[in-house]
Amino acid sequence: MKNEKDIKLTERDFEFVQLEEDIKDQKFEGEAIGFFKDAFMRFRKNKGSLVAFIFIAIIAFFSIFGPAMNEYSFREQNPKLTFMPPRIPGIEKLGIFDGSIERNLRKTSLETKYKDSIVKVVREYEERGTEMVVARVNMYKYKGVEDKYFWFGTDYLGRDQWTRLWRGTRISFAIALLAVTVNLVIGVVYGSISGYYGGMIDVVMQRIVEILISIPRFVIIILFLLYMGAGIVPIALSLVLTGWVGMNYLIRAQFYKYKGQEYVLASRTLGATDSRLIFRHILPNAIGPIITSVTFAVPVAIFSESFLAYLGLGIQAPEPSIGVLLAEGQKELLNYPHLILFPAIVISILMISFNLFGNGLRDAFDPTLRGQE
Amino acid sequence: MLRYIVQRLIAMAITFFIIISISFFILRLMPGSFADDPTLPREVVEQLEDKYHLNEPLIIQYGYFLKDAVKLDFGVSLKVEPKRTVGEILASKIPITMQLNLFAMLFMIPIGIILGIIAAIRKNRISDHLISVVVVLFISVPSFVFASGLQYIVAFKWNLLPTVLSKEQVLNWARFKSMILPILALSFSGIATITRYVRSELCEALNSEYMLLAKSKGLTQLQATIRHAMRNSFVPLANIIIPIFTSILFGSLVIEKIFAIPGMGGVLINAINAKDHTLTIGLLCFYSVISLMTVLIVDLSYGIIDPRIRIGGRK
Repeated sequence: MKNEKDIKLTERDFEFVQLEEDIKDQKFEGEAIGFFKDAFMRFRKNKGSLVAFIFIAIIAFFSIFGPAMNEYSFREQNPKLTFMPPRIPGIEKLGIFDGSIERNLRKTSLETKYKDSIVKVVREYEERGTEMVVARVNMYKYKGVEDKYFWFGTDYLGRDQWTRLWRGTRISFAIALLAVTVNLVIGVVYGSISGYYGGMIDVVMQRIVEILISIPRFVIIILFLLYMGAGIVPIALSLVLTGWVGMNYLIRAQFYKYKGQEYVLASRTLGATDSRLIFRHILPNAIGPIITSVTFAVPVAIFSESFLAYLGLGIQAPEPSIGVLLAEGQKELLNYPHLILFPAIVISILMISFNLFGNGLRDAFDPTLRGQE
Repeated sequence: MLRYIVQRLIAMAITFFIIISISFFILRLMPGSFADDPTLPREVVEQLEDKYHLNEPLIIQYGYFLKDAVKLDFGVSLKVEPKRTVGEILASKIPITMQLNLFAMLFMIPIGIILGIIAAIRKNRISDHLISVVVVLFISVPSFVFASGLQYIVAFKWNLLPTVLSKEQVLNWARFKSMILPILALSFSGIATITRYVRSELCEALNSEYMLLAKSKGLTQLQATIRHAMRNSFVPLANIIIPIFTSILFGSLVIEKIFAIPGMGGVLINAINAKDHTLTIGLLCFYSVISLMTVLIVDLSYGIIDPRIRIGGRK
């Protein structure tokens, strides 16, 4: 009798049984709908989120191309043209953004100094015996620069606010994207290891996280920035310090949900390595929640950057950021409100849009969460 | 319960120790020292270093620092208000900030609850949709944008309220009037959070089976809502109100600056900008203590408010 080990099977020993026969299955009609396509179809129905996405796209477009749209640079100073009000071609004919500003003047100077540049006299009053008027003065005519258009006005150094606003938006985006990306990487790796291996590793890693989150967020951020000095990278890193914890929790929960499931067991039985199980089999399940939480993290980062700018920990001059522009504009709020108006509008639209967009994404990826806030 | 509290206190102490340690090393690792002035004679520098233990090894300096930090003594302010101790400055500023923050809390809680109730009862009707728009607006737009807007429109353009805090020392009508705008700006995001929370809790309670029971035993919808649903939906509210307080505390840093309120915010900003590190760290430690306390209170309140949650109990 032959030993079992001597039996050798080669490819030629096999043959197809039913190669000639017809397969009677019905062909699928229509195309298959994948995960992202499915989510996109649901997302498209959510009008609010769609509008929010369009707003984000518009602001992102201007943050990339806006600074190059006129001839001024973000650091070019015009000592003679400080605090110019906004003047936008076309719209100026409607009476708004026409480069005029209300001024309190002596009545006598109406005819002399401001002769041609008065748009209209708002009211007259008397102060300490002198006759005064409140009048709208076209500053561009008054300063003799009628050919110039500062679309969003200029600041205390005569720098063009349009260029600075969009460059600032770009920097705020850069900080937010950098912070969110690093958060994502650290949070995913940390949460995966903690959740996948479990046991003692999980206990130790989560204790570390607990200590970290018990430190108040802005305290640790301010301390870090005091030491590092402010800049794009330090601010982004300071937001990472405790920012990745949320992602860690999310990923860890996903691993606890999926790691005991049969398909993971099957794959492990077939000899899949740990890294294959983590990155190919379990992590992709979390793609929806990850994208959603990244979307919600962007406005938080933009807000934090502005908050720090108010505290005096913003980007170093001459670079602008939305927060720096807001903090600078705040100083001149009562005299020159246009300085704070545009950055405030941009940050408000960004915050609202990202929140709505995030809501839409969450509902699209996981319809069971719909309606929850 | 006692065991749990002790555990939590130990954990808090560890966290506080870590914050203090980070603060110390950041303080010491900063380049430069106030005894660095080259015009000072050698003996003076030595005496200064001797007095402040700067000539001793870092680890011994660390010991001194820890010893003082436990007593919450963070030394003297160097630049912002020279020669006053950090403790004194804190003691003079805390009441102003706290007054503002407490007023904001008193304003936001009832408003938030009322809006939440309206939204829940009129779910999916026009008032619910309006409220949810307001909620998104209030939650998204940063408080400092609201503050600037209110200051410019209400105070400056319409002349209804003062633009900055009045200089009155006591809390009278004039001072309160000037506090309205900061209070509003501070409380918007809190109102939105509370509204959103109350709405979802109350919606859930309204659909629950005990409401059906209450109605089937003869209560009207109104009676059942007030007596059963509302009570239950308010239970977890305490747990979100305390974190809101912490966030107001940090939010008021900027709001105080905008409305020229001489509280903690202004001091912190001045300290950061003047590189007065002792004062900055003293202030930050104060903020850390408050935050840690609020977290503790929240954790403990879970068990007190809702006895079904057993704290620290064994499995």
